[in-house]
Amino acid sequence: MLHNDDTKKEIQLRIKIVLSMVLLMMGLLVYYLYFLQVDCHHKYAMLSEKNRIRLSPLLPKRGRIFTADGKVIASNKYKYTLTLESCAENVFLENVNLLETCIPIEEDEKKEILNTRKKVPRYTPIVVKDGLSWDEYAKLSLIFYKLNHVSIDYIYVREYAMPLEFSHVIGYATKSDNGLQILMGKTGIELSKNEELIGEIGNIKTEINAAGRKMRVLNEVAPVNGNDVVLTLNADLQKYAYDLISQEKAGACVVLDISNGGVIALVSAPGFDTNLIASKINQDQWNSMLSDPLLPLMNRAVVGTYPPGSIFKIVVAFAALCEGVITPRDVVYCSGEIAQDNGVFHCWNRHGHGRVNVCDALCMSCDCFFFETSKKLGIDKIVEYAEKFGFGKKTGLELSNESMGLLPSKKWKLLRYGSSWKPYETLITSIGQGALLATLLQTATMLGKLYAGDYNFAPTLIKSKDESAIKERNPINAKHATTIKDALYQVCNAWNGTAVGSCKTNYGISGKTGSSQVRKIKTGEAGIGQKKFPWHLRDHAFFAGVAPHGNPRYVVAVFIEHGGGGASVAAPIARKIFDKLMEIDQKSLEIVPK
Amino acid sequence: MSMDKLKNRFLFLNEFKILFLIIALIFTISILGQLSAFNGVFSELVQRHLLRIVAGILVMGLVYFYDFKIWNNFAYVFYAFTFISLIIVELLGVVRLGAQRWIDLYFFTFQPSELMKLSLILALSRYYSILPLYEVRLVKNHLLPLMLTLLPTILVLKQPDLGTAGVLFFVGCSIIFLSGFPLKIFLLSVMTGLLLCPFGWYFLHDYQKNRILTFIDPDRDPLGTGYHVLQSKIAIGSGHMLGKGFLQGSQSKLNFLPEKNTDFIFTTLAEEFGFLGATIIILLFLGLILYFLWCGSVTKTPFAKFLCYGLGLLLFSHVFINIAMVMGMLPVVGIPLPMLSYGGSSMITFMISCGLIMSALANRKI
Repeated sequence: MLHNDDTKKEIQLRIKIVLSMVLLMMGLLVYYLYFLQVDCHHKYAMLSEKNRIRLSPLLPKRGRIFTADGKVIASNKYKYTLTLESCAENVFLENVNLLETCIPIEEDEKKEILNTRKKVPRYTPIVVKDGLSWDEYAKLSLIFYKLNHVSIDYIYVREYAMPLEFSHVIGYATKSDNGLQILMGKTGIELSKNEELIGEIGNIKTEINAAGRKMRVLNEVAPVNGNDVVLTLNADLQKYAYDLISQEKAGACVVLDISNGGVIALVSAPGFDTNLIASKINQDQWNSMLSDPLLPLMNRAVVGTYPPGSIFKIVVAFAALCEGVITPRDVVYCSGEIAQDNGVFHCWNRHGHGRVNVCDALCMSCDCFFFETSKKLGIDKIVEYAEKFGFGKKTGLELSNESMGLLPSKKWKLLRYGSSWKPYETLITSIGQGALLATLLQTATMLGKLYAGDYNFAPTLIKSKDESAIKERNPINAKHATTIKDALYQVCNAWNGTAVGSCKTNYGISGKTGSSQVRKIKTGEAGIGQKKFPWHLRDHAFFAGVAPHGNPRYVVAVFIEHGGGGASVAAPIARKIFDKLMEIDQKSLEIVPK
Repeated sequence: MSMDKLKNRFLFLNEFKILFLIIALIFTISILGQLSAFNGVFSELVQRHLLRIVAGILVMGLVYFYDFKIWNNFAYVFYAFTFISLIIVELLGVVRLGAQRWIDLYFFTFQPSELMKLSLILALSRYYSILPLYEVRLVKNHLLPLMLTLLPTILVLKQPDLGTAGVLFFVGCSIIFLSGFPLKIFLLSVMTGLLLCPFGWYFLHDYQKNRILTFIDPDRDPLGTGYHVLQSKIAIGSGHMLGKGFLQGSQSKLNFLPEKNTDFIFTTLAEEFGFLGATIIILLFLGLILYFLWCGSVTKTPFAKFLCYGLGLLLFSHVFINIAMVMGMLPVVGIPLPMLSYGGSSMITFMISCGLIMSALANRKI
């Protein structure tokens, strides 16, 4: 029986082992409970709040953009978006299948939606369809009660009136890249005035249940809509000018108001459809815009730089007069060519202009006169005056990507090529060729400065609320300016003026033509018509002018890319724009007295 | 049973003050939990739960007042009956929630695997109460109990019900261990079992594999398999010391918590009553388990002893597995929390257990 006692004792021991195991494991439960509820409380409390609270953005309305004549150029429209929240896979699939009965979802899209579900946190809305049609919206409403985690939200998209005409100056705004559905300006005024237009995002805090249904609103912060922006542009003129320029392959036009620097028209053609980019553009359409040889995305008035050609002679003539290198009566004999640095430099007229003074030289655009004058004046002085007239630096227009152009100087040559300035380079610079590059806006601004009599004249696109703000003036020499102005009037009105054929009017246009070469003229090619060259080798055609005579108010600068001649191509277009301007001016005069 | 005996039984009820107190407290918490799970509405399901509590108490009384000898005498019959039921379930059981666990008896459906827990304990107790003490050192005397344990375990595993199979196996082995099974062979078997575990992987269903993988790496699929446990941990963890307050638990009220009135009832309560409330629940269950085990030590007959220890360990395994699983310490295997979770079969099983304990205690002098 001893044996039995041993067994009994061992069984008693085993009972104790089992008992202690029970106590130990129950203790373990309490310990782990303490760990979860007290030690890790903060983490789980946050997760619990995250589960229950949904913070959704409330989008502001982006400010509209108006023209000076009160037309809305950029506004907002609703776009309905179907979103499905990520949730358990079977529920998600069920809803996708239900949605498929109402709206077409392609196999690829479906795959992508299902993949997105796996990547994003629970309850993140996934866009199923961007831009629902009314048909689809109606069909969805019918089965909406069956759907879970599905919502139809609206977002704003930009809508542009006259998208092509205003494409470069207004630019476009699309959904921001940071995942929020707020509209962000990407180019043009939309970008440079984004701060004003954008407004402030609001938010709404809601309590949701596990099915994603909103239970109650906890807190709401209303969005602040963006401010409207009024531009100095005139919609009628902009459209008129765009249509004219579009008839050529590519070109640009700038119209300035001398009285306040306001830009009345800023056209670059060809334009592009900003509405397409603002709503939904696919990769193919975008690629075709990028690869178009006519570069529709480039702003030819503000970003594209070209040699300004003969228009630059205005700066040289004015500098020479101011520096006393020449007087209005001094004459130069133009034989049609001039020898310099072992080379021969031709006037555009091979037969020569004979004896010309500064007025004749501008009027007929004699190159030899400026070759001789620039030799006396020197490159340093030319650069000094060109800088005063705004070449080689930004005009400060409210567009972020404005080009500076290029004003070649001795220092520039040394830095760029490591060689000294050659005398012949002064000659070609004086007629606006060579390394000199300027934007059309710079050219127009130069004329604006001349006629405003103020070096501080600067273009602006924004209609200033406080017109009376006195800007500091930096006056230019009025006597010499008058000499130049008279000469520019002759260009359009004297029998021998280069633009007399198209710009002789009753209100009086003053201006200057320009044709800038894009290639070196080979011997024997002189006098061959421009139309015989392939398009990309033809001269650029320029005209910059002012009207009306006596009380100059408007600057019009026209640029036709590879247009041929300034007098034959650019001047007639400028004339039409001036005519339109006078018409608009007349109308506004009629309205103002009332 | 004579009137005298019946009168004695009534008088003996005085001895169960502590047991009744614990059960009453657990039922109070149970009703609070069910109410909370249904957003404080005294809905039809809460009423049904209340009805089950009443039925449970009646069953407990019935078992208590019945002759204790019957459990000893008919232990094998019960076992055979339950075992056959299990096989029937395997052949023509009603498929619910993807598992064949229920048998349709036309008036109500019941789970033979639930009844098997009691039948197994009764059969093993009966077997070892007869086995002379000097025979327990021989392994061959334990072959029948091993069979009695393993056969239903395998059948339940095939249903598939990993949790109940685990409970059956644990309770059976515990009783065999307590009977005096040779220690060396016991430890050796446990070691071999552990080594063979990886091979068991091939016999598991996909959803069971998923649960185990998720248990090892909860971030594997936070929206799928891992979702339940993650939400449960969030609910428990956000409860803090005193909880969010009755009916204030956002996790359960906003339905982030799955199965909030059945398997995850502990989570629902822990979110609203915090560490303090949850610890009280654990301590109440510990009290009940210790009461069962204490009964084992004070009863005199071997049958009653094994019965009490078996029932105590059955209760313990349920409580531990359930609470550990909702806290993410064990894979989710679908074991309800006794008397708190909504559901009839489990309620009846544990009320019968209480009745048996009371009956064993009343008959301890025999």
